Amino acid sequence: MTAALELAALKKSFGKTEIIRGVGLSIGQGERHAIIGPNGAGKSTLFNLITGRFPQTEGTIRLHGQDLAGKAPFEINRMGLSRSFQITNIFPKMTVFENVRCSLLWSMGYRYNFWSMVGRSRALTEGADAILEQINLTARRDLPAGVLSYAEQRALEIGITIAGGADVIMLDEPTAGMSHSETDYIVDLIRTVTVGKTLVMVEHDMGVVFGLADQISVLVYGEIIATGTPEAVRANPRVQEAYLGTALEDH
Amino acid sequence: MSDQITTDPTKPAQRMRAGSMVLPLTPWLIAAVALLILPFIFTNNSAITIMNQMAITIIFALAYNMLLGQGGMLSFGHAVYAGVGGFACMHIINATDFFANLPLPLLPIFGGLFGMGLATIVGSFSTRKAGTVFAMISLGVGELIAACSVIIVAFFGGEEGISGDRTYGLPFFGVEFLQQIEVYYLIAAWLMISAVLMYLYSRTPMGRMANAVRDNPERAEFLGYSARWVRFYSFVASGFFAGIAGALFAINYEILTEENLNTTQSGIILLVTFLGGVGFFFGPIIGAIVFTLVQTVLSLQTELWAFYLGMIFVATVMFFPGGLAGLIMMHVPAWRLGKLGHLAWPYLKTLGGGLIGCLGAAALIEMIFHLRHASIGDHEMTLFWTTFDSHTVLPWIIAGAVTVIGFAICRATAPAMVEAWNEANAASKVTT
Repeated sequence: MTAALELAALKKSFGKTEIIRGVGLSIGQGERHAIIGPNGAGKSTLFNLITGRFPQTEGTIRLHGQDLAGKAPFEINRMGLSRSFQITNIFPKMTVFENVRCSLLWSMGYRYNFWSMVGRSRALTEGADAILEQINLTARRDLPAGVLSYAEQRALEIGITIAGGADVIMLDEPTAGMSHSETDYIVDLIRTVTVGKTLVMVEHDMGVVFGLADQISVLVYGEIIATGTPEAVRANPRVQEAYLGTALEDH
Repeated sequence: MSDQITTDPTKPAQRMRAGSMVLPLTPWLIAAVALLILPFIFTNNSAITIMNQMAITIIFALAYNMLLGQGGMLSFGHAVYAGVGGFACMHIINATDFFANLPLPLLPIFGGLFGMGLATIVGSFSTRKAGTVFAMISLGVGELIAACSVIIVAFFGGEEGISGDRTYGLPFFGVEFLQQIEVYYLIAAWLMISAVLMYLYSRTPMGRMANAVRDNPERAEFLGYSARWVRFYSFVASGFFAGIAGALFAINYEILTEENLNTTQSGIILLVTFLGGVGFFFGPIIGAIVFTLVQTVLSLQTELWAFYLGMIFVATVMFFPGGLAGLIMMHVPAWRLGKLGHLAWPYLKTLGGGLIGCLGAAALIEMIFHLRHASIGDHEMTLFWTTFDSHTVLPWIIAGAVTVIGFAICRATAPAMVEAWNEANAASKVTT
């Protein structure tokens, strides 16, 4: 079986600064994979390379065995990869319902359609309502997304990310800036909405990482120094030395 | 009963779920009836001329708002799509053999297709980026095509433009469009068709994604849509309806010149759309009506009409970025609470004072203009039905005093108005 996502000798430089220095990683289907590492390790850059936001300098990225080189974000999305953002990235002026409905359009085959009425499609309305139900935002359905609380916007972001039916979901720090109770809530949410899908996430909160992931990769200065199960990574002396030590013992 | 479902604005969710009514019909029926009976209320020819101009401007402004309001693209050269559509129609009118077999009411379709064709060509490279890049390209292309009007004389007719006679078309159920009123109904019909189509377009997947790309192009890309192609299709659709407006211009005036293409015309349509409000579908309609009235009625009263229009525009941009439509929609919460009446008296005091101040200031401006520009020895001027000598001191004192007192009332009562406004909206937090 081909891996859901496969990176080989991936490099990225901004000018003379090499941010990603040869990353090789294979993420199997249905796996929940967390990428951790200290600040500035290049986690978000790695995400942006995979999702086509930046072009890589060297190396290959394969999604279900297909090379992603030169593909635009919208093409990568159509191939079944969807992502969320570290900084909340929604459509603030549109209603919550509209946000979710827009993220369903392409996957429901509407493409650049300008002859059918979105309001008339029962499948679209029900699909969007079902997602709202999943992310517990039904009560906020008709409010502009910009007025939601921070945690609600993060939940909406996850809703938009999963709505298109992508089978590889990438979440960039889904719990950044959240309180403890909000974090617990989002972790439960992520667990339920990504059942049966491949999940790749960048996260700082070790509680979230060890609660959700079956595989962890540690990225330090643009290189992966360890990959394995949470227990193996926790026990790895290089990891402890490089970064985690105390943080790991807490959990 | 069904009427209640379609018009109850407090239950959009139910209306959506019912799925039976996509288009709330009532406002459209009112608009259609109004278009039908207006010529019976304003019967004279000049009123019909104004209404024709208004309807054409409405179509053009709605088309423009597909870009600016729906798609977030600021174009400084949109007149060329209307203009080229109009010029193409003029050539069709002049191609007598073909035109003799074409009923005039179908001509706007050709205008639309030509506008769309040009938009397809220009859009293929201009819509790659939004924002400043798009605005600059639109300005450049606009200038380029306007400059072509004196170069490609065969198509644009040089400085005198192209003229023709609409009445040579195939009679349409016996109507030859000799009279203004017949042209009015032709334009009114196309206004309804275009407005309904543009409204429906905003409810299609493309229309929705145009909004999404406007708000957050990057997110839209991660939903599977290419922001560039979404912008392109909006641009092409906008070009089509602009072309229809251009064709109606050709039918109404029977002449097109360089003025239909140039930057001034592009600037006017931006002004009209912004004045009406880009955030709501009906905004450009209000903008076009107000603008045409100011342009035609005020220009009969004063030579300085463009100056006042500029002032209105600047005031709108500064104080009401939502335009006139935004101003109206601001009052919906208070109206739903039944508290709109509470605002009447504070509004009258503050805005009445402001209006008096503005009229006083306008009087001063008119007097300065008269003093500087009237022919030598002409000291007499008429303002607000009063004739006086602009070289004596008394009128200046009166106008100055009216201005000062008006603005003073406005200023003194403004805090009370703000308070009344807050009070009228405050209860909304309790009830929702």
